[in-house]
Amino acid sequence: MIEATALMKYYGQVRAVHDVSFSVDKGEIVGLLGPNGAGKTTILKILTGYHYPTAGVAMVNGYDVSANPVAVKSCIGYLPENAPLYDDLTVREYLDFIADARKLTGHDRVNAITRVLKLCGLETQIDRPIDQLSKGFRQRVGLAQAILHDPDILILDEPTTGLDPNQIQEIRRLIRTLGSDKTVILSTHILQEVEAMCDRVLILNDGEIAASGTTEEIGRELKGEKVFTVRIAGGSLSDGARQALEGVGHLVTEPIGPKLRIALAEGRGGEDLFRWAVDNGLIIGALIPERYSLEDIFTSLTAAGTTGAAEEALP
Amino acid sequence: MTAILSIVRKEMRSYFNSPIAYIVIVFFLVFTAVWLFYVAQFVAQDIASLRAYFGIMPIVFIGLIPALTMRSWAEESKLGTDEILLTLPYRESELVLGKFFGAYGLLLLVLLLTVFVPFSVTPLGNFERGEIFGEYLGIALLGAAGTAIGLFVSSIARNQISAFILSAVGLLFLTLVGQVNAIIDLPTWLASLINYVSLQYHVGSFIRGVIDTRDLVYFLVITVLFLYLNVKTLVFRKWS
Repeated sequence: MIEATALMKYYGQVRAVHDVSFSVDKGEIVGLLGPNGAGKTTILKILTGYHYPTAGVAMVNGYDVSANPVAVKSCIGYLPENAPLYDDLTVREYLDFIADARKLTGHDRVNAITRVLKLCGLETQIDRPIDQLSKGFRQRVGLAQAILHDPDILILDEPTTGLDPNQIQEIRRLIRTLGSDKTVILSTHILQEVEAMCDRVLILNDGEIAASGTTEEIGRELKGEKVFTVRIAGGSLSDGARQALEGVGHLVTEPIGPKLRIALAEGRGGEDLFRWAVDNGLIIGALIPERYSLEDIFTSLTAAGTTGAAEEALP
Repeated sequence: MTAILSIVRKEMRSYFNSPIAYIVIVFFLVFTAVWLFYVAQFVAQDIASLRAYFGIMPIVFIGLIPALTMRSWAEESKLGTDEILLTLPYRESELVLGKFFGAYGLLLLVLLLTVFVPFSVTPLGNFERGEIFGEYLGIALLGAAGTAIGLFVSSIARNQISAFILSAVGLLFLTLVGQVNAIIDLPTWLASLINYVSLQYHVGSFIRGVIDTRDLVYFLVITVLFLYLNVKTLVFRKWS
């Protein structure tokens, strides 16, 4: 449905996106994750035809965005960052304009407007001027605008910024609902958002793709195995104890004094470590879980410096 | 066509939802009427001609047209709404024409409201219908060229204030540059060149009631040229 090949974008001398390739299949919800300035917005702007790439090709629904922008724009709905809106129009006038622009007429038009008002919970705000709306309602108007023509593809740039936790939950639920029959690309710098909404993630850093995969894949890769730091308060690690450790887990590094780092095997938990210690005459003084969270992965992938340095930064 | 109309409608709504349309209309009508009856002493002059009325309009346009066009692109890019507009399924030419007819439509509306002045004074004397028609045509053409210039400036300006100042200065220059010839004696070629670019010079013959195709062509060329440049600016921005 969306196919980006070797996308490249320079703003003057500034490199915004460098050699980014990815594809999104029909019905997927894909998240672009990255710190501010990583190139997320630029990629979305290229896909929507707002900017043309300096090099590379973006194909949306079989059309080249730079060669056939109008065809591409017809099949996508776009919510730009911060949901810019025409402040001097009312919600009704604004949606009227969008319906005009989308060439909706007659019944379709009335139905489309009624549908998005209901879906986005805007029925009570219909005749208010947009500049009097709260941030949450503005975001919903932006979303209503994007889905008015029931597009196959939705492109959402940071759909939840500036919202309070309840509104964030609502918008996420809404996007999830929409995502059941649409292709969605959204950008965010919030990790939980990706976990909450996306089937697949592209992690961007400094204009390049640093990692990609399904949320589970990245999660597994990023979270890694469950590792515990174990401090032995009594007894010593005999060869027998070492052997008994098989099946429970394995030592990550050779022990330094009484401190062991043990990675648990699949399906094992901290209680198994206790049982192993008791069985082998060891007393555990401390058991500290050591885990790669998505946050750690993200930080390590996107922290300043090279990828090599980033790997070292992993705990 | 429906695409262009949809933008015209949106622009019109923006104008009339904010005070700008009303300010422009009232200012233009009051100023030109005051000029005609008090400054130009229309009644005391006792001449059956509205030259003074139409003659002041190009000067008023210097401030009025930038006020109409300053927001059109500059405000869109400042608020980020151009991201909406430029990602809706429009061609750049449709966007530019929609913006143009939105602003120009309001200007024509203002001109339409001035007909009360000719209507109310023509019974007083032997006015030439043709002259008044020519005057309206000239002012309307000047308005089109001015609007196209203002829109183009708005598309390259960073915000509406600089768009206003830039286009007002531009229009001021193009309107009054012909005055140079009245002050100093320049070589003929330079004088006619200056006259050729001067908006005032071309509108002058219309105001005297003469419709010259060269003046007509001049205004159309200026209008089309700046609308074209406007389209190019939009396309250029996508690549930059």
